[in-house]
Amino acid sequence: MRRPSPAWAVSLAALALLAMLGKAGAETLLRTRLNADIRSTDPGTNRDANTDGVIAHVVEGLVAFRDDTSVGPMLAESWAVSNEGKTYTFRLRQGVKFHNGATMTADDVVWSLKRWLDPATQWRCLSEFGATGIARIEKVEAPDPQTVIIALDQPTALFLSTLARPDCGQTAVIHRDSVGADGKWISPVGTGPFKLAEWKRGQYVDIVRFDGYVSRGEPRTGYTGAKDVKVDRVRFNVIPDSSAAKAGLLSGSLDVIMSLSIPDLEELKSRPEVQLSITPALGLTGILFQTKDPLLKDVRIRRAIALSIDTAQIVEAVMMGTARPNNSALPLGSPFYSEPQSHGYVQNIAEAKKLLLEAGYRGQPIKMITNKRYSFVFDSSVLVQAMAQTVGINIELEVLDWAAQLDRYNRGDYQSMAFVYSARLDPSLSFEMLTGPKATQPRKIWDNPEAQEMLRQSMMIDDTAKRQTLFDEMHKRFIADVPMIVLFNGAELTALRKGIKGYAGWLYPQPRFWGVTVQ
Amino acid sequence: MLGYLARRLAMTIPTLLLVAIAVFALVRLIPGDPVQVMLGDAADPAQAAQLRAQLGLDQPIPVQFIHWIAKLAAGDFGHSITNNLAVLPLILDRFQVSAVIVLVAVGLAACIAVPAGLVAAWKQNSLVDLSVVGGATLLLSIPSFWLGLLLLLLFGLKLKWLPVIGYVPFAENFWQAASFIVLPIATLTMVEIGVLTRMARAASIEVLRFEYVTHARAKGVPEWRVLARHVLPNAFAPTWTLIGLVLGHLLGGIAVIETVFTLPGLGRLLVDSIFARDYPVVQGCLLFTAVIYVVVNLIVDLCYPLFDPRVTVA
Repeated sequence: MRRPSPAWAVSLAALALLAMLGKAGAETLLRTRLNADIRSTDPGTNRDANTDGVIAHVVEGLVAFRDDTSVGPMLAESWAVSNEGKTYTFRLRQGVKFHNGATMTADDVVWSLKRWLDPATQWRCLSEFGATGIARIEKVEAPDPQTVIIALDQPTALFLSTLARPDCGQTAVIHRDSVGADGKWISPVGTGPFKLAEWKRGQYVDIVRFDGYVSRGEPRTGYTGAKDVKVDRVRFNVIPDSSAAKAGLLSGSLDVIMSLSIPDLEELKSRPEVQLSITPALGLTGILFQTKDPLLKDVRIRRAIALSIDTAQIVEAVMMGTARPNNSALPLGSPFYSEPQSHGYVQNIAEAKKLLLEAGYRGQPIKMITNKRYSFVFDSSVLVQAMAQTVGINIELEVLDWAAQLDRYNRGDYQSMAFVYSARLDPSLSFEMLTGPKATQPRKIWDNPEAQEMLRQSMMIDDTAKRQTLFDEMHKRFIADVPMIVLFNGAELTALRKGIKGYAGWLYPQPRFWGVTVQ
Repeated sequence: MLGYLARRLAMTIPTLLLVAIAVFALVRLIPGDPVQVMLGDAADPAQAAQLRAQLGLDQPIPVQFIHWIAKLAAGDFGHSITNNLAVLPLILDRFQVSAVIVLVAVGLAACIAVPAGLVAAWKQNSLVDLSVVGGATLLLSIPSFWLGLLLLLLFGLKLKWLPVIGYVPFAENFWQAASFIVLPIATLTMVEIGVLTRMARAASIEVLRFEYVTHARAKGVPEWRVLARHVLPNAFAPTWTLIGLVLGHLLGGIAVIETVFTLPGLGRLLVDSIFARDYPVVQGCLLFTAVIYVVVNLIVDLCYPLFDPRVTVA
């Protein structure tokens, strides 16, 4: 027998190696980071922001938020509103597949909605459709396999945006196989572009591409539009420590990390292997005043503080050019943010001094609670303190840990505080988080009955122009009453390895890994 | 011996129960609660109430305590409120990181401090003594975070010999793991050398004055033998007690060092959980620390007869 020549052996080995490489390279993997593990895989129930962010890749609802926070169709093809805004008739898209291969029908939508509305499910947004919520759902039915009718007890402007809320799990349409015979949650069998593959508690969550996904035609926008998955697998690694995550990105063991701080950004800017994505965010940073406080109940003093500061300068110093000043309760980027909202406070030292004189302010200390959990909140409070000092206002900072500050906020137990609100996706909700009677809701900062009435109307009317008029009027009164000084909306800062293409942040601070490639 | 061990262990039960009650009560005295932290500014009272009920935080505090203790008795430390992980594995996982650093650092510190203290005592009031005492006092006075930062600056940023941040488990890559913990160990060793040297020196000075030392010298026993056979064993006991205390104290958390070097140790876990008001984890960490304290002290006590035959465990 002839022995194989060395050349043969080498070629064989090379071929084997190539085959192995080919196999290893066959799966494209994108690695990102969660700062804490997800809480469950059941959408909108046992959840937090991380959970919502992962689950949004796996399930979808009838409607979803677009890039500009307006609501667009997702699993619905279209909808019609009738019966004075109380009946919603959804036409469903045809041929949408669940992860188990079944085709979605109106029956699945009705089953899913009824499951969410069952108190035993403990759906986060159940209360929105109860007695104290935006409207009660009276009936859900499927007259034919492509149509779903939902009847409400009263008209509301917030119905679709509530269905689309990520923290409500986007009111996902899921297949019955997601739960066991006993009704217990097993795993999401949804319609999303990714399937849940593996959840290793405390370590990672893997999602893989769903090959049967039927994409929408229009371009990617928010949580709807085309969802063209270009990687095989996305791994969300649980890495609590942000420095460790940063080190992981720099060493190449992570591809994407989100929610960077401003100092991180400055450090990563200079690294050649890293690209940055800076997106305006919907959060709201500002200074709250307790309008029941013996001293600060005088609007002249609150106004004097507002006039003593230069918002633009604070934002520039604190956010290093990643955010723009905004004194309005509506976030920059909201479709309702228009010309009236751009009129805020203009620094006027003489006027501020005059107001203080009229109010009889003689340098009494004003305590301002702040925290170091969010460096931009702390930095803002220091700058406000310094600027107010120039007109003779004596602000004393009190640094608390975030949990203690939240407790004081919820009880309304403070003179003033530097605070940050999380994203609200509808202008009514932006005002709702601020406006309310302090007697029954001590955390509310703006106790103005007329504003509350306008807010109520804005939640009922579905007419965009009429809502705009209401928001414009509320803005004017908000600026006049000075229950708080809004400073800026912040930015979502994401760092990616250079080889990642097609990533785009949006107004909602969660990533989307469809349309993203790894090179 | 076994009887003694059983008695000692039985004695720890009331201690641990008291610790449990104190920990449980103190954690709840801090303003703020985990539900508020989780819901943040969007804490709609209805949602907050729902979440509280889900977590069992709506029950009266004594009832919550009994639930916790009952589970604890069955070895169940509960689950973290923030990330739903089982508390005990979480603690053990983090404890490994702290334990490696503390044990190596204290071991090294003892190996350096005890001979140094002995020599200083032997050459009392000489230049050697003065420099040992001076050095020890200096090390003792340096705050560990500052020393840590200086070492980071020098070896991490200036010389680039060692990585600045991060951590790799030993199971994953031994050498890489080692490179991450060299600086924390060095920092802790230097700080502890200060404490232990002073103790070793003081104990040795005392022993050197005893008559049996004079006797040994009078017999013509070589000086190194006097030190090794007569002084060291007798002077080591008090130092050993101190090592026990130091170990118990450090194993409970080297939060500052872990923060400076971004190590996922027990101390960081405790601090982070306090910020998140993650009651089960905070309670678990503190109770675990108490157990470690008790166990370390027990081991120290059991070791005495090895150094001093006059001491017996009975």
